[in-house]
Amino acid sequence: MIQFTRRGALAAGALAGIAPLARPALGQGRYPSRPVTVICPWGAGGGTDATARIVANLLEKELGQPFNVVNRTGGSGVVGHSAIAQAAPDGHTIGMLTVEIAMMHWQGLTELKPTSYTPLALMNEDPPGVQVNVNSPYRDIKSLADAIKASPAGRFKASGTGQGGIWHLALAGWLLAMGLRADHVRWVPSNGAAPAMQDLAAGGVDLVTCSVPEARAIIEAGRARSLAVMAAQRNPQFPDVPTLKESLGIDYNTGAWRGMAGPANLPPEIARTLTTALQKVYDGREYKEFMASRGFGVVWADAAGFAAFMERSDASLGAAMRAAGLART
Amino acid sequence: MHLSDRITGGFLVLLGALAFWGGSRLPAVPGQDVGPAVFPMVVGGGLALCGALIVLGIGHSFEDEETEPVEAHEGLARWLGAWRALAAFVPPALLLFYVLASEALGFLPTAFVMVAVAALSLGASPRLALAMAVAAPPVVHLVFYKLLRVPLPAGILPAPW
Amino acid sequence: MTAFLEAMRLVAAPDVLIAIMASAVYGLVVGSLPGLSATMATALLVPVTFYLSPIAAVATIITASAMAIFSGDIPGALMRIPGTPASAAYTDEAYAMTRKGQAELALGAGLWFSAIGGIVGTLSLVLMAPALAEMALSFSTFEYFWLAFLGLMCATLVARSSPIKAIAAMLLGLLFACIGIENPGGVPRFTLGITDLLGGIEPIPALVGVFAVSEVMRAMTTPEPPPLPRRRFGSILAGQWALTKKYQWPMWRGNIVGIIIGVLPGAGADMAAWVSYATAKRFSKEPEKFGTGHPEGLVEAGASNNASLASGWVPSLLFGIPGDTITAIAIGVLYMKGLNPGPTLFTERASSMYALYIIFVLANIIMIPLGIVMIRAASLVLRAPRSAVMPVIVLLCAVGAFATGNNLFSVLLVGLFGIVGFVMERNGYPVAALVLGIVMGTMVEQNFVTSLIKSDGDVLPFFERPVSSVLAAMTIAALLWPAAVWAIRRLRPAEAAR
Repeated sequence: MIQFTRRGALAAGALAGIAPLARPALGQGRYPSRPVTVICPWGAGGGTDATARIVANLLEKELGQPFNVVNRTGGSGVVGHSAIAQAAPDGHTIGMLTVEIAMMHWQGLTELKPTSYTPLALMNEDPPGVQVNVNSPYRDIKSLADAIKASPAGRFKASGTGQGGIWHLALAGWLLAMGLRADHVRWVPSNGAAPAMQDLAAGGVDLVTCSVPEARAIIEAGRARSLAVMAAQRNPQFPDVPTLKESLGIDYNTGAWRGMAGPANLPPEIARTLTTALQKVYDGREYKEFMASRGFGVVWADAAGFAAFMERSDASLGAAMRAAGLART
Repeated sequence: MHLSDRITGGFLVLLGALAFWGGSRLPAVPGQDVGPAVFPMVVGGGLALCGALIVLGIGHSFEDEETEPVEAHEGLARWLGAWRALAAFVPPALLLFYVLASEALGFLPTAFVMVAVAALSLGASPRLALAMAVAAPPVVHLVFYKLLRVPLPAGILPAPW
Repeated sequence: MTAFLEAMRLVAAPDVLIAIMASAVYGLVVGSLPGLSATMATALLVPVTFYLSPIAAVATIITASAMAIFSGDIPGALMRIPGTPASAAYTDEAYAMTRKGQAELALGAGLWFSAIGGIVGTLSLVLMAPALAEMALSFSTFEYFWLAFLGLMCATLVARSSPIKAIAAMLLGLLFACIGIENPGGVPRFTLGITDLLGGIEPIPALVGVFAVSEVMRAMTTPEPPPLPRRRFGSILAGQWALTKKYQWPMWRGNIVGIIIGVLPGAGADMAAWVSYATAKRFSKEPEKFGTGHPEGLVEAGASNNASLASGWVPSLLFGIPGDTITAIAIGVLYMKGLNPGPTLFTERASSMYALYIIFVLANIIMIPLGIVMIRAASLVLRAPRSAVMPVIVLLCAVGAFATGNNLFSVLLVGLFGIVGFVMERNGYPVAALVLGIVMGTMVEQNFVTSLIKSDGDVLPFFERPVSSVLAAMTIAALLWPAAVWAIRRLRPAEAAR
């Protein structure tokens, strides 16, 4: 907490001319020798931004140099992910990868794929849920699933993110697993989970397949119900919401994940330093408490584990996108 | 840079038509009837219509009487003589210079050049231009780099803080 | 009552008071720099809030955003360069007042009515949060489409030029907004294969380009204007009471419009300022004075954009749905600090809620003395020679644009938009309408296309839902009005000739 006073006072007093205390070391010594930039491909205020900022803060304590989060937004994540890949591989620019890196290249939006990076660690994964308006006649996932099966294609409207985004894919995968066509429920693209949940509350769409933490405030306000999560286990933060497997007998699960990575060809000793520090961050109380407070799931995998995880995710998302007719390559 | 309504309106017709054509060639989205093509086509069509109306001079009566601004006779504008209208392009050129040079030169030298050139072009005395170019960049750097944490490039002359 | 006393104690804590003062100064400075918006001021505060107590953390965001929205008026009035998009609607008006020698009246109006708007907005938050939230939740994409359309119509009312050229400039803005991948189909449009264009055109670089850079470009080719009479900058608050009495009705209308627009998620201070400036002109007894340095529009729009700021917190606090980009960031901070949005925040953590209200009022009160100091300091640029001020503006444009996404491409965009704005201005196309189109483009398209998807291509649902039918009627009336005026104008001389 000593750091906080210094930084807080700095921010408050820099205009008044209080001399900054942190001077970047000029000599090349032990890594990190100067402040590190952490690129976040999504905007300030969102879940990825919050995760990147807490990780960066804790890394700063571990490694003793400032870790500055920089939001490089736009292009549904393409711009920020490109910036991480194109940075100089000296360890002074790293970034947070999100699930979109395993999706965008299938849509032909970028050449980048998980192998374009030096993976450092997997930090978080959130499964999608199925939310309906509180006045909806469907009290459980079974009655909703039956109603969807009985309806003509395109009658039900769902939302949660943009066209071809992870929650769209979650819906398509769920429909395929039920033996329906991937576009049996019409997707209404939205600018993220919050506007979709608002439209759900306003009666604009029938269901929203975003993650339960994203839907939390509306659910707690008594405007929406969460019927199921598409995960292997229930979320300990939301113990009353069943999984698809236990309620429908469908073994389908997917999720949006986030992990840290650097540009390709990061020197191995720097990558090891970062992975070790990230492991300490992950095991620490502050990270766990923060993620629990937002309802975010925590998952750990080291560099090799993260690489293998991304490879699996890339293959399964690619298959799902082709099946759903969303892939362009 | 004053152009007749025929030229600007004609340009808008062309741009609107291009947008309409470009929009119509966008791929449809699988599973959706209404795709990304609709909006550019609507906007392009509207723009072409407005352009046509402007060419015909409709709505011109609402405009204020055009007053040709007095031309400058200071700094770069005087030096350029008959070509003085070109002086207007100094600010965009300086921004281009920032894009090309800031990574290599660093913020402080780049900013020094920008402020000095802009001040001289506006007819500042060399003493004023030099004073501004020396004083302003470090203040801007301090505010943006330390207070707002913007990663300005260090380049060949890193700031002492 | 005990909860209220507890709230007073929470706010009176030294760390909270220091946080309010420091973030007030910070917000005033950031808002007054061209290119740095209130949203950015807030985003940059997030790392600082990690280390603050929950109340202090939220206090920094409330205070900094209120200050930044006000101080965006300062460079607009003094140099015709709006500091934030919310000021763009009435920048020309405020600058015209400055040229008439009424800079203190223009800036004082911005300050005084911003503070009033902020306080009235807060009262709406205190008294009517549940009712307002109910309204926000009844808005589906159909209603938003009409709302956005109405917002676009403001372009024709604001501009002091040919309405056709204003609409053309607005459509050009919408076309710029088409660029990139942020469209309902997720398809790259008009990107010319440039990765940086995938992200689309952000409003901030466009705003900085068409206002600030084109202003410097004009300065390069025109002689220095005759200096304003050298005299002491008069009292800033003098005259505001007279304005308050004279324009009481526009002020209240601005407050109410601001509150309503602020509550609706996705529409924020920018749109509130536009709509209010346009309604001020439409309902004014002397609309011909607008654009020549007439304070009426400043009164209404200045009150409106700050009122929207406070009411934007309603859906954020009750449902975790951001009312605008600032509260989107604030929600993250609320969660981080354990003040999870939801109705329970109002019941179980009532003292924290009261504390937020007190901070809102406090921030709007200290805005007045701090704002006066800021205006006095900033007015020095009116005395400085142009050849000393303009080069610094160019530098700030470059750095401010870079800071929006830490991307050099934005700097290039600023330069290009400078040329676009310069050419448009010289040929009678209002640049403010272009900015309006860019700001609103995504919202218009998103709601238009998703509504069509939801209705399976049918246009009937656009008129069926109760609220949307009212909004549709208003839009159509606004559309037909200028045509009717035009027709009457054409008919009158004909009659006289007969």
